Amino acid sequence: MIKAVFFTVLTLVFFFIIWFYNPFVHRETYQVPREHMAIINDYSKYAKEGRELFQQNCQACHSVRYDSMYLSSAEANPNMSALKEKYGKVLPRNVYEASFHSDLMALKESFGKVPPDLSTAYLSKGPQYLYAFILEPQKVLPGTSMPAVMEGRPEETAKIVAYLRSVSEPSPQEKNKRTLMGFITIGYLIFMGILLFLWRKKKLKEMGL
Amino acid sequence: MLGRIGRWIDERGKFSDLWRSQMVEYKVPKNLTFPYAFGIMAIVALVIQIVSGIFLTMYYKPDIHLAFDSANYTIMKEVPFMWLIRHIHAAGANFFLAVVYLHILTGIYYNAYKKPRELTWIVGWAIYFVLLMTALSGYLLPWGQLSYWGMVVTTEIPTSIPGVIGETISVWMKGGYELGQITLGRFFGLHIWLLPLILLGLVSLHLYLVRANGISNPDGVEIDKKKEGVPFHPYITLKEGAYVMWYLAIFFFFVFFHMSHFLPADNYEPADPFKTPPHIAPEWYLLAFYTIFRSIPDKFLGFVVFNLALVLLLILPFLDFSPLRSAKNRPLFFIAFVILVISSIALTILGTMAPTPTNAMLGMIFTVGFIGFFLALPVISIVEWGWYKAKGGRNQ
Repeated sequence: MIKAVFFTVLTLVFFFIIWFYNPFVHRETYQVPREHMAIINDYSKYAKEGRELFQQNCQACHSVRYDSMYLSSAEANPNMSALKEKYGKVLPRNVYEASFHSDLMALKESFGKVPPDLSTAYLSKGPQYLYAFILEPQKVLPGTSMPAVMEGRPEETAKIVAYLRSVSEPSPQEKNKRTLMGFITIGYLIFMGILLFLWRKKKLKEMGL
Repeated sequence: MLGRIGRWIDERGKFSDLWRSQMVEYKVPKNLTFPYAFGIMAIVALVIQIVSGIFLTMYYKPDIHLAFDSANYTIMKEVPFMWLIRHIHAAGANFFLAVVYLHILTGIYYNAYKKPRELTWIVGWAIYFVLLMTALSGYLLPWGQLSYWGMVVTTEIPTSIPGVIGETISVWMKGGYELGQITLGRFFGLHIWLLPLILLGLVSLHLYLVRANGISNPDGVEIDKKKEGVPFHPYITLKEGAYVMWYLAIFFFFVFFHMSHFLPADNYEPADPFKTPPHIAPEWYLLAFYTIFRSIPDKFLGFVVFNLALVLLLILPFLDFSPLRSAKNRPLFFIAFVILVISSIALTILGTMAPTPTNAMLGMIFTVGFIGFFLALPVISIVEWGWYKAKGGRNQ
């Protein structure tokens, strides 16, 4: 009994560290003021506003391909509508990069690298990092070529992050559906497990075991 | 009507005879404990992986320009319910390996590898090895930063062999001097066809061997199957069926609510050969071997030792020739087993940490613990032969 408890606890602690929270790994954390975090969390409401802000402040260098938002110079290109007709709203990466190579290279000339596409930026960086970085790029990542476009405009920064979140994450309604689906699946499985156990008890009684 | 069709089929196929002889008349020990269910959980995990993998291949594109978008846009956002399939496949891989590790440790604890089950153990080791290869090749497919750089590190491991051999193996694995379309294409082919087929064959053989030799016993005594056993169905099937349901409940908790460790954030960045991410470490199931490799200062020695760890696991049945079975009856073995478990856990967790000198030192200590378990087994066996003789050849 002691051995069983010992090994169970060891297994649970191990998987907790590996799959939930690893206290041995230090992570950089950034603070987001509460009112701005509320904007990011209510992303479906602010997505439209954020998209407009993105177009005004970011689109000159950054694309969000999964939202069919390309560099402003590429959007102005007459080829764009033909490409969209052929490949759909979200252009394949190689098609996009080859068609607008000169625009991307012009950006590379001025910034030293092609500014990344931000379709999955929310998922890879998380809201705290994005907020802190967009607001004060040099403070978060010294030496970066990203200009401090949004300096002194924290609320609008939060709205841009909310927009990026709405691109990366499913809408809140969809999320609620998924949560409900999860609860139903898990509940069903637990219930079936209990039924199997009760059935076994009955069966074993019949067999006299 | 349905009954008549059923009878018609059964008269010709003799399926009820098969069921009776294989499930009802097949006798197993009555005292099987919970860890014996890890085997069936692993089979369930394999089936889940194959089914979800088939659906994923419908939309995944093995092309370095399109792979990332097909995984993160087409699958995650465009096609209904494919997000669920991808979550299941990603979490399933981790659960499969977790259950396999627990299954291996159960086998070691109850000495299930002893005569006549050595071959079962060896085939099981082959399953574990092929499974690691499958997981490794599958991890490359989303073509994110972690996929790319994880594979760069993996394909660099053979270069620690001095001379031209290591370099040749590395280039042969990659299909060139750097990772590219050829690497992705061949790993895709291996991941969806060759390795799963080998895995299916090996799993069938493993199951056959388990059936042929009977299930081992937690008390370390072989049962007289005719008299003492309980029928496999319904005694074990319903019990382990219930465990499987609860296992799936935990699995689906992760699938729906906690995917951040199975689809890590860094992998949502497309692979960039010119940008090395700050922390490159393999997935948790390879970290123990990775830490062994990393902690030893000499690269070639590290390579030898981590391969030695795998080989020692393979020849475990021949290292342990004690007449006693099951850690329940073997206090010395039990202590060694605890050292093995703690060393493996420590090596895995050390792998997630930064490679500082202190961590390298700790890594070496736990490597000694890990290898020490296997090297101590012959000594423990000799001591236990002494006890066995002194007690007059009785088991307990």
